[in-house]
Amino acid sequence: MADSDISDNEPTTRTLLRRVLDTEAPRTPRRRQSTRAGVQRTPLGTPFSMRLRSQTKTTAGRQPHRARSIGRLAHTQTRGQLKEQTPRTLLENILLTAPESSMVMPESVVKPVPAPQGVQFSRRESSPGSLELQLPELNAPATLAPGRLTSGRRKKRLRLSEFQQGMDQGLPLSQGPVTEPPGNTGASSLSSSLNLTFATPLLPQSVQRPGLARRPLTRRAVDVGIFLQDLQDTSVATALPGDRTPVATLPTDTVLEDTQPFSQPLIGCSPSVHHSIPSPSLSAERTVSRRTWSSGPGLQNNSPRKPAQLLAGKAEEVDALAMGFPNTSSSTSGEDGLEPLLGGVGEEVEERMEESMSLSEVKEAAGAQASARAEEPEAHTEVAEAEGSWGATEEKEPEGSSGDKDTEARPELASSTPEFPQARQLEFLEPAPPTSTAVLSSEPLEPLSARLPTRVQTAGPRLRQDPYKMGLSHYAKLFSFYAKMPMEKKALEMVEKCLDKYFQRLCDDLDVFAAHAGRKTVRLEDLELLMRRQGLVTDRVSLHVLVEQHLPLEYRQLLIPCAFSGNTVFPAQ
Amino acid sequence: MAVAATISQRKRIKRKAPRGFLKRVFKRQKPHLRLEASCDLLVHLNCLLFIRRLAEEARTDACKNKCGVIKDQHVLAAAKVMLKKSRG
Repeated sequence: MADSDISDNEPTTRTLLRRVLDTEAPRTPRRRQSTRAGVQRTPLGTPFSMRLRSQTKTTAGRQPHRARSIGRLAHTQTRGQLKEQTPRTLLENILLTAPESSMVMPESVVKPVPAPQGVQFSRRESSPGSLELQLPELNAPATLAPGRLTSGRRKKRLRLSEFQQGMDQGLPLSQGPVTEPPGNTGASSLSSSLNLTFATPLLPQSVQRPGLARRPLTRRAVDVGIFLQDLQDTSVATALPGDRTPVATLPTDTVLEDTQPFSQPLIGCSPSVHHSIPSPSLSAERTVSRRTWSSGPGLQNNSPRKPAQLLAGKAEEVDALAMGFPNTSSSTSGEDGLEPLLGGVGEEVEERMEESMSLSEVKEAAGAQASARAEEPEAHTEVAEAEGSWGATEEKEPEGSSGDKDTEARPELASSTPEFPQARQLEFLEPAPPTSTAVLSSEPLEPLSARLPTRVQTAGPRLRQDPYKMGLSHYAKLFSFYAKMPMEKKALEMVEKCLDKYFQRLCDDLDVFAAHAGRKTVRLEDLELLMRRQGLVTDRVSLHVLVEQHLPLEYRQLLIPCAFSGNTVFPAQ
Repeated sequence: MAVAATISQRKRIKRKAPRGFLKRVFKRQKPHLRLEASCDLLVHLNCLLFIRRLAEEARTDACKNKCGVIKDQHVLAAAKVMLKKSRG
């Protein structure tokens, strides 16, 4: 049947019709039967199909509808003119008369289309049973116009948006000529739609990403607060410790001016004082615990990195904390409000601290410490300068006590901060509450610009370590799953260390095997040999068995050659 | 290919292999060497089996000491044994 051919997805009406004509011989008796069957459908479908047919000339898009409409058209035509015109002849006429319609130029097609359509309409009118068709025919040209208008609208919209972007003067100019041509129904709608188009380009950008539009606000508020706090702390710190002032001033100046990591050794002792100041200011009353000390300075260090961290995707926590900020107005109340927040976070931080302590032996930690130290003084000095609202007395008291503890906390912090992204983010959130309380009062946005360059520099060494640790922790989680027993956090760290050694050994072995085979590329047979030597692959248990047992289907398909249809084997051997 | 057809049905693989991570580790360790196409999957399999054996060993160690929790000394002892076994 022609319908079956038509139902195939064809790119254009023309090709469809050609196919129909080529394949199907004119079978009028059968057509009549099908039309009788289709008669029930056609009255409903004709207006729709007619409109669609008219519109498809302008917008080449809906193939199945087109196909159906063509089929129904054929039916209606045969019904109308029983033996005078077959659908075949009609389709041939369409092919002859209708020009090739392209998606690019709908307007040019629109004009010639009404002409052939008018011819066809007249034919249909002549048929006896086509009274119903007259209505849709009249509607068709009407629908043509809006279709044309819409296409024109689309074109005009682009130009108008360009105008708008360019200059405001272009708006009245472009509006003038555009509003004139559409004298039809859509004149007012066009102008209104045009007006709308001016507004729309701005909206979608924010609508698509509403979260990002809001985020910078929270970020700035926190950063500035930390900045101010640190500034105040440094100013107070410089005033109090007499012996430390000369050392403090020098490194602070150097830190402010040049933010290179090699300035660490100078900063070694003094930054610890600075670090201690901001955190004690808020947590002085609290029971001094190692984690709070460490978390405070560490958090402030990470505050400049906060925007980057937020972008990574932990804005939810920040927002939650931001909500908590307004609750804490004064320092004391702030601390109380912060305690529950920090209490929940502190546990995880403590864990991280413990892990970081044990892993501090790793070389990577040392490098990270160096970078972290460089980052910390920069952040603290900047923030200290910005701050000015905190009472100096509060800071003076904890300074002396915190100074000793901070030195202990510093190495732990340094190791902890770069290693665990989660902990870092948590640490970010922790300083946010203490600093935000002071920040909320009055925070200029200037310090941000000063901090941006420092943030970029610190991104490098941290990222190098993170993915490695994340990969190892991925396997450590599998370990805890396989063990089926509760494990300590230190045990997980130990597992990560073992994995590190194991990876090194693995690479060495593979290197040896490949070199033995005279190759520079490690192949599957090298790995099989390795597993055989490890005792995983035996004569009884082959590699394929292991692959099937432990790897998911997708990887199995990639590894084990399997025969497929068409005499092909994948993966090819 | 039939493989592509089957993979498209299920786009989320459970327990994905960190192929990028493994490739990067190998490159960092042995920059002069190259890994073949699906070799990192076998490396991942190797890691899985190693971790499985390590976990078993650690569990038996903990049970020997009548501990309900696996501690790092259990893991350390188990690792010593396993690394010796996985010498290759």
